[in-house]
Amino acid sequence: MTTEMTPVQRERFQAQQAFFKRPSFLIQVALVIGLILVPLVPSFRVMDMMAKIMIFSIVVASYDLILGYTGLLSFAHAMFFGIGAYSMALLCYHLGSPQWHHLILATIVALAMSVVLALILAFFSLRTKAIFFAMLSLALADFFHILGRSWRNLTLGEDGVTFSLPGILNVQGQGFSLFGLNISPRTMTYYLVLVVSVALFIFLVRFVGSPVGRVLQAIRDNEQRSTALGFKTFPHQIYSIVFGSSISSMGGILFALWLRYVDPESVLGVFSMVDYLLMVIIGGLGTMYGSIIGAAFFITVQTWLPDLLRGIAANFPDYEIIQRMADRWMAYFGVMFVVVILVFPKGIVGTVQKIIRRRRMASFK
Amino acid sequence: MAEISSPSRSILSLLSVHIHIGQHHILQGVTFDVEAGRSTVLLGRNGAGKSSTLRAIIGLNPVTSGVIKFSGETIQGLKPFEISRLGIGFTPEDQGVFYSLTVEENFRLSLFEETEQTRRNLETVFELFPDLKKFWRTKAGLLSGGQKQMLGIARAFVNDHKVLLIDEPSKGLAPILVEHLGHSLNKIKDKTTVVLVEQNFYLASQVGVDYFIFDNGRVVHKGQMKDLVDDQALKKKYLGIG
Amino acid sequence: MRKSIIWICAIGILFIPLIWIKLTPYLVLTTAGLAFGMFLFMVASGMTIIFGLMDILNLAHGALFAIGAYLGGYQILNLLNTLGWVETGSVGLSTISLLLAITMGAGGGAMVGLLLERVILRRVYGDHLKQIMITIGVLYVITELIKILWRPTAEPVLVPLAFQGSFDIFDVIVGKFRVVAIVIGLVLFVGMQLVLRKTRLGLIIRAGVENREMVQVAGYNISRIFTAVFTAGAALAGIGGTMWCIFQQQVTPEIGLDNQIFALIVVIIGGMGSVTGSFLGAIIVGLSFNYVAFLWPKLALGINILIMATILLIRPRGLMGRE
Repeated sequence: MTTEMTPVQRERFQAQQAFFKRPSFLIQVALVIGLILVPLVPSFRVMDMMAKIMIFSIVVASYDLILGYTGLLSFAHAMFFGIGAYSMALLCYHLGSPQWHHLILATIVALAMSVVLALILAFFSLRTKAIFFAMLSLALADFFHILGRSWRNLTLGEDGVTFSLPGILNVQGQGFSLFGLNISPRTMTYYLVLVVSVALFIFLVRFVGSPVGRVLQAIRDNEQRSTALGFKTFPHQIYSIVFGSSISSMGGILFALWLRYVDPESVLGVFSMVDYLLMVIIGGLGTMYGSIIGAAFFITVQTWLPDLLRGIAANFPDYEIIQRMADRWMAYFGVMFVVVILVFPKGIVGTVQKIIRRRRMASFK
Repeated sequence: MAEISSPSRSILSLLSVHIHIGQHHILQGVTFDVEAGRSTVLLGRNGAGKSSTLRAIIGLNPVTSGVIKFSGETIQGLKPFEISRLGIGFTPEDQGVFYSLTVEENFRLSLFEETEQTRRNLETVFELFPDLKKFWRTKAGLLSGGQKQMLGIARAFVNDHKVLLIDEPSKGLAPILVEHLGHSLNKIKDKTTVVLVEQNFYLASQVGVDYFIFDNGRVVHKGQMKDLVDDQALKKKYLGIG
Repeated sequence: MRKSIIWICAIGILFIPLIWIKLTPYLVLTTAGLAFGMFLFMVASGMTIIFGLMDILNLAHGALFAIGAYLGGYQILNLLNTLGWVETGSVGLSTISLLLAITMGAGGGAMVGLLLERVILRRVYGDHLKQIMITIGVLYVITELIKILWRPTAEPVLVPLAFQGSFDIFDVIVGKFRVVAIVIGLVLFVGMQLVLRKTRLGLIIRAGVENREMVQVAGYNISRIFTAVFTAGAALAGIGGTMWCIFQQQVTPEIGLDNQIFALIVVIIGGMGSVTGSFLGAIIVGLSFNYVAFLWPKLALGINILIMATILLIRPRGLMGRE
């Protein structure tokens, strides 16, 4: 059978055969099992942290698709995230008692808006220089940020929207017991987040490995040569932006589901782009799996750093400046971000990969 | 090719210069000497490394290894502006004329310091290229291709540089203009040492005294222009002409 | 011929709002819009020149604006007020306070700009992605630093006595400070044009925007010119910040980011690298924002995005952008 295959097909077939035996596959399985077991830990803080890590892994991975694999710097990724979060929140809030079909409707609305906006953005900005994309996406993202803050009738302004979820996801509900374990609505939401984010992540990894994903990397590395080979830059960049942005809005939906609260600053704020960038950079550009590490690192630090700083500051009650420095923990993320870009341009995963590759090359010789 | 002939008279010398651009090994040990007052032409096919050599001399292409000497001073690793101030002028392939500036402003920008000599040079320029005087206050972008080329060369020339690097001045010019250009370059080479990269053999033979032939990032042949003109075999082998 | 038609059309568009707005409020809005435009110009002109010459999209420019606002507008005026120079005292002293505030704003912006260029940006020349990421990181850090050094909330800013109140010209109420802003903006614009057209530095900058390599080959140390231009742009942003916070009578830590978005729109509309373009762009954005905010407040920011999109459709590189 293998003899009838083209070399590419044969290689792919062999790669598929080897897939389930690879150590990285086992790590992935272990990771998923670990995530399934998280609700057994009797700490809401841990579950909250893990859910956020999953959500942001998706968002950061989709951002990596645009930034790392396509080489376009978008400042609108937070905007797409916010669109997802707000479409979820507003539908559940404004349409009376929440129903299951609101969730589906929110997904459709978020996807539709993301696709349309991503197309508009790409159409206007990619005609000239790539740098235009950064500028235009920043302008557009800030427009949505201001819209979220000022359109009070719809978004309730800076106060944000608190809403409840339908059925067994509703925290007022009882939950149910399974095998003697009481599964609370919180836990149910956690598993929903888990299933959707694992599915979306696999989807993203498949996309990057697909022929379109490979062409994207080729264009990023050498646009001239790729176009000479007959690949059109513009449509491929559009695939990437539209796909990545839609996934980001899905991340926003999960985020809204998990918190049951959205406000403009946390989901639409332009500065949250710095968080995403930091996560991508820590994980490494163009690595996909790095986004999990980036998100895990960021969310963990974000969860514990304020406590740590406050603890330190409590020792110096007389110095007001130290209190203030402890309050602004985000400043340290900013400093770290600048330093990481200067010192580790390839991020942590990227740097490790580079070292491994160099070793492998050395053993080859 | 390694020996250097009479280093005392050489004004510009390269010794096994290597250049990498990206992953490409562009120059693979270029060695040659330019003697003061003897115009030199770099010949060879497209991609042989002639333009990269000029850009390396002026400091725009970083040199990986090797030595470049100008008037006895080692200049590789210096910044372009430092090399330029030492007395090397450069006219790139696309002339490097500032289209949004007037002809006058183009000259003013190039004249790093105004001296008696540069004023005399400007007079010479006006003699050689009367068009430039005519369009003194016109934006350089509105000039014709030939005029832009003249501006590019003249601008480098007025500065009283000891060596003038000129990259393919004949590119895109009509034959009649090439003839005029050859005449002008002949005047210029009496006042300064010209290093010319040229595909047009007619122009090269008009201007050059010495020649070096490049192939695959190396100098593969050298000699005097007057011998090359009649050497059909050599011309055929490296230049694909004759 | 074609140019003059475009100009007539452009000036004609200015009068379209008269369909909905009566003449008196129209004139008031126009002065407010022009003043706003001048503030934007102070930020955008630095951004556009830095982009044109150095090929750097400096998203930290808003931070320099914020530093100008906090150092010049907020800190210095508060300090001088304790001497009784600002809100009370003579017209002369309050004028001196404004000048001191502007000097401090410009100086603060320039100092931070100099550091930014020398210490950080210098390492990432030629890498667009890194530049943009690093500069937005710097903006973020400086915004947080402001929250640490001052306060995370909005703070009131004093208006020097001589510039409080307004002129009443045939029922058209024009705030005094608006007039000052327009005058300073115009002076800066004319000054920049003079520097660009008449001085050697201006010649080098104009040449450098077109072809950096050849400027070096002509014997100029481009990296020193980069530093000079970046510092000058930072000083301009600082002046803009000082003026803006006095105009708004308050400062917020997000002042930099908020204004940078407008400045970015101005730079895109005007064409990256063109001072005249950003002047026109700033006036367009300033005026349209004020007219629309008066008529349909919700659409105010949308109109700028709309104008930007329209201009990009017709001229993908902006009004005065080079093809």
